[in-house]
Amino acid sequence: MKESAKFKQANREAKATVVATILVILFWCAAGFGLADSQIMFLHTPLWVWGGCVGTWIFSVIVAVVLARYVFMDMSLDADKEVKDHE
Amino acid sequence: MNNLINLLPAFVFLMVLLYVSYYIQKTSSSDRSKNFVKDYFIGGRTLGGFVLAMTTVATYSSVSTYVGGPGMAWQIGYGWLYMAIVQVVVVFLVMGVFGKRMALVAHKIDAVTVIDVIRSRYQNDTLANIAAGVIVLFFCATMVAQFVGAAKLFEAVTGFSYLTGLTLFGLIVVVYTTIGGFKGVAVTDAICAIAMLAGLAILFYSMLKTAGGYDAIMTHIQTADPAMLEPLSRGKMPLSLYISQWLLVGVCTLALPQSVVRSISYKDTKALSNAMIIGTIMIGAITLVATWIGVLSKGILTNPSIAAYGGSVDNITPRTIVACMSPFWAGVTIIGPIAATISTISSLLLTGSSSIIKDIYMNVQAKKGQIVTNDQVKKLSMACTLIMGLAVYFIAIVPPDLIWKINMFAFGGLETAFFWVMIFGMFWSKANSKGALWCLVGGVLSYCVTMALGIKVFSLHQIVIGIGVSLILFLLGNSLGQPTEEKVLRVFFPDQYED
Repeated sequence: MKESAKFKQANREAKATVVATILVILFWCAAGFGLADSQIMFLHTPLWVWGGCVGTWIFSVIVAVVLARYVFMDMSLDADKEVKDHE
Repeated sequence: MNNLINLLPAFVFLMVLLYVSYYIQKTSSSDRSKNFVKDYFIGGRTLGGFVLAMTTVATYSSVSTYVGGPGMAWQIGYGWLYMAIVQVVVVFLVMGVFGKRMALVAHKIDAVTVIDVIRSRYQNDTLANIAAGVIVLFFCATMVAQFVGAAKLFEAVTGFSYLTGLTLFGLIVVVYTTIGGFKGVAVTDAICAIAMLAGLAILFYSMLKTAGGYDAIMTHIQTADPAMLEPLSRGKMPLSLYISQWLLVGVCTLALPQSVVRSISYKDTKALSNAMIIGTIMIGAITLVATWIGVLSKGILTNPSIAAYGGSVDNITPRTIVACMSPFWAGVTIIGPIAATISTISSLLLTGSSSIIKDIYMNVQAKKGQIVTNDQVKKLSMACTLIMGLAVYFIAIVPPDLIWKINMFAFGGLETAFFWVMIFGMFWSKANSKGALWCLVGGVLSYCVTMALGIKVFSLHQIVIGIGVSLILFLLGNSLGQPTEEKVLRVFFPDQYED
């Protein structure tokens, strides 16, 4: 990978991370406050606790997996080494 | 209950950390003789995914995870858990945004600290030195607060004096950080993170056993204090607090130097990807269990008035431990909060020491044209770490008042100082040194002043003022300053200079 391509990829990854964070915030609102009026209890615990707390955690892990496996690309961090490889 | 069996588990744990650190120091002595600064302050860039994740999480989780947070959850209920869980974003956020770009740049300019990157990006020594000073100042304040919190907890749980606890783990963490360097800190952090989770699991189990099961506790809460089952806790948990926390312990943690420095210390990009996943799982698990324990302690400490528990929510965790556990198991559980404390201290201490030696002292010497030998750097760095650690220990013996406030205050101060300087520096080629300098100085000053005077906007935490003012000042200063040299920009933004 060329150096400029690496930096472009790093930018894409940073942008995707920001989008992912916004998604987590939206999920947190919906699964917590969104379910706050529901009277349903699961294991003696209100549904919004499961959604907003445990759910947000699970959702974040899924987000991290998607970022790490599908958005992030492996690359060499050393510019010099690759230049030498080409020479 | 003042007997040695209380003390033994923590003592054994600390001895293990000391040995691990000593062992690492021994095995890395050849790397240190070649390039001491690089090995001592970033571990020669060799961290793998698991250790990278664990050290990031352990540095982030502190004694407040055990004491302040659960105590508030006892009072507020599930709303506090809902608020605490916003921290799940911090690991993937810092690694995702800065992880790659920082590492690419750091490899090119051979940076060892975050200040190195800031200095070479903005080409301004005043800016870099002030930033290093801000780190040292706020880190010391945080470390004192951590020591005080953990020593108080230790006293309440084991019955040994405040000074005994502080001396035991205080001196050991200072010694193992001094000898182990970054690699030692990272590996001991990983052990600490596991100990934290184990301690929480034991406590969770004992609580359920003492109170007669989860259902019994929840039934008690439903009748005794149903507000605990609502996110706003009938007014005790205002919406502004949720917004403040999303900023303070969520989004704005992005640029904390003690986290960002981990982005220049990992081995390869696979390590980074794995660390994002492992770290997000870990931070969520620790936050969930620790804060949930706080909610459930309502079923153990059933008196509705906090006055019955010494008038402070900080007493909730220690009293819960004592109420649920035999002295031996209480002694085991105390390892958790001690681990949380010392893993934060070790990282702050080392980053603080790197600011003094690498960022300030070595830079001044280089400007004077004096060469500092590898051996001199070694002696100075280790001496600096030791002295700084001991200074913090001595201040913590007779702690200043309001120490708890200082902890969160310092957190917000660091965020204000570094948020825009780092983001614009790494992602906006037009950002220049005048903007960064105005942002750093003006932001921190406005944050400190509004904090001291108690001025708030829309009853949100002062971090909003700090971040807002520093943004405006950055843009203002930036429009008046000179653009950064193209030579520098080619290093930081090669993607914009394609031929």
